[in-house]
Amino acid sequence: EVLKEKVEEEEEAERAERAERAERAEKMMRPMEVRKEDTTRTQEMLRDLERKLSEIEVSIPEKSSTFTKDAIDTSKLPLSYQSNTPKEEHLLQVADNFSRQYSHLCPDRVPLFLYPVNECNVPKFVSTTIRPTLMPYPELYNWDTCAQFVSDFLSAVPLPDPLKPPSYLYSSTMVLKYQEGNCFDFSTLLCSMLLGAGYDAYCVYGYGSQDLCHMDLTREVCPLTMKPKEVVKEEEKAPPKKYAVKPPRDLTSRFEREQEIKRQEGVKAEEEKRLKQGERLAEQESAKTDPLHGLRVHSWVLVLSGKREVPESFFIDPFTARSYSTQDDHFLGIESLWNHKNYWVNMQDCWNCCKDLVFDLGDPVRWEYLLLETDKPLLSLTEEEDDGTNDDDDAENLGKEDEDKSFDMPCSWVEQIEISPEAFETRCPNGKKVIQYKRARLEKWAPYLNNNGLVCRLTTYEDLECTKILEIKEWFQNREDMLELKHINKVTGLNIDYFKPGHPQALRAHSYTSMQPEMDRVMEFYEKVRVDGLIKREETPRTMTEYYQGRPDLLSYRHVNFGPRTKKLALNSAESNPRPVVKITERFFRNPAKPADEDVAERVFLILDERIQLRYHCREDHLTASKREFLWRTEGDSKGNKIIMTPDMCLSFEVEPMEHTKKLLYQYEAMMKLKNEEKLARHQAWESELEVLEILKLREEEEAAHALTISIYDTKRNEKSKEYREAMERMMHEEHLWQAEAQLDYLAPFLAQLPPGEKLTRWQAMRLKDECLSDFKQRLIDKANLIQARFEKETQELQKQQQWYQENQVTLTPEDEDLYLSYCSQAMFRIRVMEQRLNRHKELAPLKYLALEEKLYKDPRLVELLKVFV
Amino acid sequence: MNRLCNMEPRVMDDEMLKLAVGEQGLRDEARQLAKQEGILFKDVLSLQLDFQNILRIDNLWQFENLQKLQLDNNIIEKIEGLENLTRLVRLDLSFNNIEAIEGLNTLVNLEDLSLFNNRISKIDSLDALVKLQVLSLGNNQIGNMMNIIYLRRFKDLRTLSLSGNPVAEAEDYRTFICAYLPDLVYLDFRRIDDHMKELAEMKHQCSVDELKHQESLMQAQLEDQQARWEELEGQKAAFVEHLNGPFLFDSMYAEDVEGSQLSHLPGVGELVQTYKDKFVIICQNIFKFGLKQQEKRKAELDTFMGCVQEAVQEKQEQGKHKIAKFEEKHLLMLSSIRDESELTNFEIKMAEHSEDITELVSVLMTLEMQLVEQLEETINMFERNIIDLVGLFVENVQSLMAQCRDLENHHHEKLLEIAISTREKIIKGELDEDLPDAVRLLFVDKDTIVNAVGASHDIHLLKIDNREDELVTRVNSWCTHLVDKIHKDEIMRNRRRVKEINQYVDHVQSELDSLECSDLLD
Repeated sequence: EVLKEKVEEEEEAERAERAERAERAEKMMRPMEVRKEDTTRTQEMLRDLERKLSEIEVSIPEKSSTFTKDAIDTSKLPLSYQSNTPKEEHLLQVADNFSRQYSHLCPDRVPLFLYPVNECNVPKFVSTTIRPTLMPYPELYNWDTCAQFVSDFLSAVPLPDPLKPPSYLYSSTMVLKYQEGNCFDFSTLLCSMLLGAGYDAYCVYGYGSQDLCHMDLTREVCPLTMKPKEVVKEEEKAPPKKYAVKPPRDLTSRFEREQEIKRQEGVKAEEEKRLKQGERLAEQESAKTDPLHGLRVHSWVLVLSGKREVPESFFIDPFTARSYSTQDDHFLGIESLWNHKNYWVNMQDCWNCCKDLVFDLGDPVRWEYLLLETDKPLLSLTEEEDDGTNDDDDAENLGKEDEDKSFDMPCSWVEQIEISPEAFETRCPNGKKVIQYKRARLEKWAPYLNNNGLVCRLTTYEDLECTKILEIKEWFQNREDMLELKHINKVTGLNIDYFKPGHPQALRAHSYTSMQPEMDRVMEFYEKVRVDGLIKREETPRTMTEYYQGRPDLLSYRHVNFGPRTKKLALNSAESNPRPVVKITERFFRNPAKPADEDVAERVFLILDERIQLRYHCREDHLTASKREFLWRTEGDSKGNKIIMTPDMCLSFEVEPMEHTKKLLYQYEAMMKLKNEEKLARHQAWESELEVLEILKLREEEEAAHALTISIYDTKRNEKSKEYREAMERMMHEEHLWQAEAQLDYLAPFLAQLPPGEKLTRWQAMRLKDECLSDFKQRLIDKANLIQARFEKETQELQKQQQWYQENQVTLTPEDEDLYLSYCSQAMFRIRVMEQRLNRHKELAPLKYLALEEKLYKDPRLVELLKVFV
Repeated sequence: MNRLCNMEPRVMDDEMLKLAVGEQGLRDEARQLAKQEGILFKDVLSLQLDFQNILRIDNLWQFENLQKLQLDNNIIEKIEGLENLTRLVRLDLSFNNIEAIEGLNTLVNLEDLSLFNNRISKIDSLDALVKLQVLSLGNNQIGNMMNIIYLRRFKDLRTLSLSGNPVAEAEDYRTFICAYLPDLVYLDFRRIDDHMKELAEMKHQCSVDELKHQESLMQAQLEDQQARWEELEGQKAAFVEHLNGPFLFDSMYAEDVEGSQLSHLPGVGELVQTYKDKFVIICQNIFKFGLKQQEKRKAELDTFMGCVQEAVQEKQEQGKHKIAKFEEKHLLMLSSIRDESELTNFEIKMAEHSEDITELVSVLMTLEMQLVEQLEETINMFERNIIDLVGLFVENVQSLMAQCRDLENHHHEKLLEIAISTREKIIKGELDEDLPDAVRLLFVDKDTIVNAVGASHDIHLLKIDNREDELVTRVNSWCTHLVDKIHKDEIMRNRRRVKEINQYVDHVQSELDSLECSDLLD
């Protein structure tokens, strides 16, 4: 009994110890002596302890999670979850043996993470918990999206004890169901998915930095805020050609230039230094040293190079879905790693974090394996050293090899990992996730969760404490107005909306400070969609600039200057009182069909001065371009005659003087044409203004409505398609019924009369046929009779009514009369229909009869027997 | 034709044309201006001369830029006098008395030709009108359906009218035309619908296909010829044409009577054959070498041209930039000067701006002078290189030709030997074969035979020398011509640029001066 008690005591002590460790995570204050005193405790003490233990458990933050063992209904789980197969038992024994040998050989190392219990309290070997699965979503085929999904889909729970691996490891199906897990759950799930996708992935049990274990990204720069590195294309310098001209002699002092460059570089370097220092100081302030540095347990995923064209091994932190190089500072050591086939213990020293680790799993000196594998992942060529280094290892290896030679890893006990499309789309638990980065905050939502289509918001702050907002970026999806991204700069107050192709006004981007018209704004368009080929329209309070491309008239640019609005028309609204146009500048692309001297490059309409300036395109081998300026005077000359055209009304500079352009007639006609063009240009400017107003109005409406589009393939959300589908299903059903009816066997009742299983004789067949036909005939007649009977009944009824009406005609109220009349008309209608049906029946009956006869002749059961008579 | 000539036929004289030009749809003010100034016939784009009783087209040579000419409803009998109107796009000659289509060979831009209601009986002489789109030949006397096949050559022809011709009365008139002119859209002022097209295709498929086949054969032949011609041109550019075969050798024997006579001697046939083989090989070598050298020269020229182009372009960009900058300043200056009221300030500014202008001139000129220097250097380098290349080519060709000559000498010796031995044999009466009489005559005495062989040799040598000389002179003249042209082009370019700069500066200066004048007047 004493022994038993002792055992109990020990168990209890162990539990207490575990609890205490958990508690330490909270308080870090309780002394550690408990371990040594445990044998002397009495039963009461134990009870006391137990009580305390229960208290402690209450205080553990696990209560925040709904995912406790109690909540899981283990009875409904499949059998493989609840028990072990003999093979698994065997594996557990092997693992047990291995762990004992290990603790014997390396007494100073922490126990291995080999067979934690699952949700049904059954110990399961970690490798069997990995269930390689290829997801049916193409998005999950690559490691980055896969990791992103895992990190989004699950919400992280800290380990019960940050210094020890958990005592349990749940199946991935359970984790997915509750969308919650610790780092081991994360890495198991991710590893399963990566293995399924063909990567050479491993779960790692090791030690990580505090930031890593707490999923703390506040010291990381948000990847979305980082500008994509500009790919500096070094233009290949063409080798100097044989006849390239020598550059003119450079007469500036080279020494002075060099000195200048040196000076500038010095200034730049100093500035950079100062900046860096400031940054470092700020960071140092914010980063407190972690007392548990190097002890915090973490689990992550290692992807080895080789498969799926991975060029270099790397780590993935499953919490944040970020990839790190194997030399990263965040990873402080590795105890062991495993995949679905084997388990390896790291035998290398981790004094320098993971920087010196060699991931050559085939090297038994560096990586102690659990099962002897037939296919070693990597074969080390530098194994000469290990002969003399560790005899124990060799001995152990030998012993194990004998033992395990014929043993391989049993199949996973975990059910197939499944993610429903809804869950896949919703991604984050409740479809929402917030990540805090250094000077940035990222919020994510599932599509259709927000009714304005918002799926992502990135808020950037100026300071580390995240109080001053610098800018906000909001991403949208499925918007009916095709809005994709809204960029709000809080400092300048500038808003930029980006649109996908498909906006009714072909908007590409719209940047503005206010939605009021006639303010600073830039609108960009998808020019291919627009008829006028407009690319961009910039506005300031007094100007409007438009850029075009691909127009048949080759217009590329139009700049309009407005004057102040005239006051006298103040009664009218703004729309009918456009600002007076002062100046219009239009530029054109070169029209290759025209000679350069006749192809206008720029024309300026100075409307107030009544002047038009033309600048022509430059000839290919010329420096100067022709110019022409028209001034017109509307007043008459001294004698009161109207001036049509005088030579001083057109000033021109021609690169190559031509004869015909000197003619007044030519100039006059050109001027008349330009006057017309000016009118058109003014009209265009006016229309552009109207369009801006229209777009602004439309944008406001869209913002207010923020309707979302639903794909016609989205059967769940699309009401119309749902209805349609249901209708189709109904139709299918009806069709099916009808078909079943059509297959009715008309011979069955007659065949039933005959003894079954016997072959028909000819006489029988004849009789069968005749009977069938006569029966059918009778039915046709019956039907006709029936119709007739009904017809007669209806007629009688009508006659009766008519009689009644005749008799009581005088005393009837108008309502009754109405009733009677409607009855009459209905009855007449019925009678007529009946008549028609009868006639039709009479017509069709012989045909039907013949058809049946024909059918009977062709019936496979009778055809042989009746052939002779046909 | 029932048009009665109740008026005297009129002559197209200056007066008539001036009147017609003056009446060109101008509005009041414009017409006033036109009257004031007069219009040059050169500038007229369209001319209408209908119902004028014109008998003869004349006096139109000044209308170089005319695009549209209407001469309908006259009594013209012959198409003439239109040779100079090469820009003509539309020509209306309907309702005249024309009997044959002619005189249209220079009107390559013509798109719309109307010959409605004339007396034409054959569609012909329209080959030059490659851009023809509309052809109106209604109310004529075209009777042969085969005239339509002639129209197949006009790829752009879309509208055709032939109604009122004897052809149009044929039963399958429409289908025939639709089948043979599948690109036609309008026939006799009506759109050809798809049904009609199908019908036509079905009906005439066989014959059309045959015609198409013939046409494609012709086309192929033409292309083949073209290709061969181009190849020859290429070889000519390399100065080695007719050297890639036995052409030279054959030409040596073509005029050589004695040589062909001597080939009847025993053993000479084989000798000539081996000689020919060797000779042809050398010719081939020359040919190949020539082509290679030509490519080299071309590449050299291309790089040179590219480099020159680049250099010019660069300087041009710089110049443009300078001018653009100046122009901005210039405008500002002008307006500020215009607004200036005080005389002293005005003068200061004027002087300032004049200085600016001179500076611009000097900058532009410096750029130009730099360019001239650079180009001169480059051109000289190129000149040296190209002359070297040509020299190399000539040298090589000469050495190869010398080989030819050696061969000829060798052949000559052999031939002489054979001839002498033959003569001896003849004298001895040992000759087995029968020789033609003409050849036998040569063996009358030794001198004759030696002379004959020598003459043949001389002819051969002469041919070889001629070919060599031709090649060398041609390549040398090409070279000098090229170099001359490059120098000349460069000089022209320079002059043009200087002229342009001066012109521009004059213009700017005059603008400034005009300000001064106006100010002084005020």
